[in-house]
Amino acid sequence: MRRGVKSPLRVATIAIGVGLALFIVLLLLLIMSHPTLEGMINSLKSPEIHFAIYLSLVTSFISTGLCILIGVPAAYALARYDFPGKHVVNTILDMPLALPPLVAGVGLLLFFGTTPVGEALAMAGLVFVFTPLGIIVAQFFVNVPFMLRIMRSTFEGISPRYEYVAKTLGCNDTQALWRVTLPMAANGFLAGSVITWAKGIGEFGAALMVAGATRMSTETLPISLFLNMSCGKLDLAISAATILIFMSLLSLYIFERYGGFTRL
Amino acid sequence: MLQIQNISKDMGEFFLDHASLEISKGEYIVIIGPTGAGKTILLETVAGIYEPDGGSIHLDGNDITHAPPKDRNITMVYQDYMLFPHLTVRDNIAFGLKSKKVPSDEIHEAVQRYAEMLHIAHLLHRYPDTLSGGEQQRAAIARAMVMSPWALLLDEPLSALDSKTRENLRKELKDLHEITKTTIIHITHNFEEVFDLADRVAIMNEGKMVQIGVPDEIFRKPKNHFVAEFVGATNVFKGTSTSENGIASVKIGNIIVRAHSEVEGDVYISVRPEEILISTAPLASPIRNAFPGKISEIRHCGAMIRLIVDIGVTFVVALTRQGFEEAELGIGDLVYIAFKATSVHLFPGKSTTE
Repeated sequence: MRRGVKSPLRVATIAIGVGLALFIVLLLLLIMSHPTLEGMINSLKSPEIHFAIYLSLVTSFISTGLCILIGVPAAYALARYDFPGKHVVNTILDMPLALPPLVAGVGLLLFFGTTPVGEALAMAGLVFVFTPLGIIVAQFFVNVPFMLRIMRSTFEGISPRYEYVAKTLGCNDTQALWRVTLPMAANGFLAGSVITWAKGIGEFGAALMVAGATRMSTETLPISLFLNMSCGKLDLAISAATILIFMSLLSLYIFERYGGFTRL
Repeated sequence: MLQIQNISKDMGEFFLDHASLEISKGEYIVIIGPTGAGKTILLETVAGIYEPDGGSIHLDGNDITHAPPKDRNITMVYQDYMLFPHLTVRDNIAFGLKSKKVPSDEIHEAVQRYAEMLHIAHLLHRYPDTLSGGEQQRAAIARAMVMSPWALLLDEPLSALDSKTRENLRKELKDLHEITKTTIIHITHNFEEVFDLADRVAIMNEGKMVQIGVPDEIFRKPKNHFVAEFVGATNVFKGTSTSENGIASVKIGNIIVRAHSEVEGDVYISVRPEEILISTAPLASPIRNAFPGKISEIRHCGAMIRLIVDIGVTFVVALTRQGFEEAELGIGDLVYIAFKATSVHLFPGKSTTE
């Protein structure tokens, strides 16, 4: 590593890095300082923002739960077992990461709106199109790869010999996983849950496609930001944005603290 | 009796190839072999982690080849301890008994007993990552022993430890075996552990059991070239043998070594360095193998001195430090070396493993 004080490369690259960081801080400050304090407080008291916070929290918690329920077992299989087609499965499971959420949303909309499966679910009372259920399924679909990747590398980082020892000490496969591997994976689990939750809170594109943007019905915080921005209610829009910023900062802190970035 | 019969298992890089071993209750077996010989897979297959592709494992007459690990009553300790980091030492040791739903007062008592036996009773409240390597390994051994297993499998249990700790723990393993009479199968690379601990030693190479016997027998009578090289009989030579009346004459380069054998053709011989006499004058005794030579190198190995003597081929001769000083030998000195024909071990040398 060069340590010359006057290295032009050093000066230039540091300047770029610091400049980018400053730009990010500037944007966040700009958003938060835009409305008057009074306007902000009034907006935060409005039923519409309350509804958006409530809906965002409920949908993101449920979708995170689903990501755990589906992502953790799948990640365990991919980390521990060999099976035919494993490589292909691995690649496909990472796909939603690269897919634009809008496209994922179209796919989900078609699935729930036009296929016999979707129709059967609707008949059974599970209507996903233009309902909060659609928001949940959109968040789940877009974010499950994060849970999966983090848990996969977490499980891969735990020697299977811990399970072997547990099995010689009276455990079957499931008990060894439950009593040894899962507790050892706690940090990865926390990091995965936080990032999935934070991404769920912010999910817009796919949710917009499946659930639409209906005021006081499928209005999560990002949808609220979009709706109010479109009709010029800047105070409400900015309030929603500010709440989203605080949630992101909080989750970023927790995520980093439990080593999430090393596992992504 | 634990009977491992013709076990095969292919795991790619590591494999077992018709490995067989019979272990009596209470025996201490040490398995040695080079890296990749299949030692760890053998233990893991015995523990039930893998199902073998072929062969069978019987414990006291019951076929346990396909029994799950938890039903085998065989426990295992790895080189890197594998203590559960989220549990205290106490909970680690109690882990197996809790699986078996043993009443908690009995668990408490058993944990205490084994912790005391392994001198870690004062560490029971601590978490594994706050312990030294030696302490962690004691905890791992206690965790395995508290189950009163039929057999305890040790996979290089001392290899990760510093030499002082290793020596202490080796003594304790010996004591533990004497007190509990638990059957132990112990993998190592360290020959001291073989001599100190093993009732019998098994040598593995390329997934096979190459030779099984008491340590002395393996060291004195290696069955083939591989074993001889591996156990460090340094004087291993390839030659051609012709035999008459049970006495083989083995031509090695320009010298002929006599041995008690009827094997003819291509052979290997080995002579243990400690069984060779050395003197500055010709030996008068009617010893069969005596050769003049020249000291080409002197190596100091702790309490022993190893002399490299060139007699046409190079022999290694081991002397005690005292014997070496009394003989006043130096590099370049002309000497005579001699060894009995019975000290020469001869084995057929067609391939390195057969």
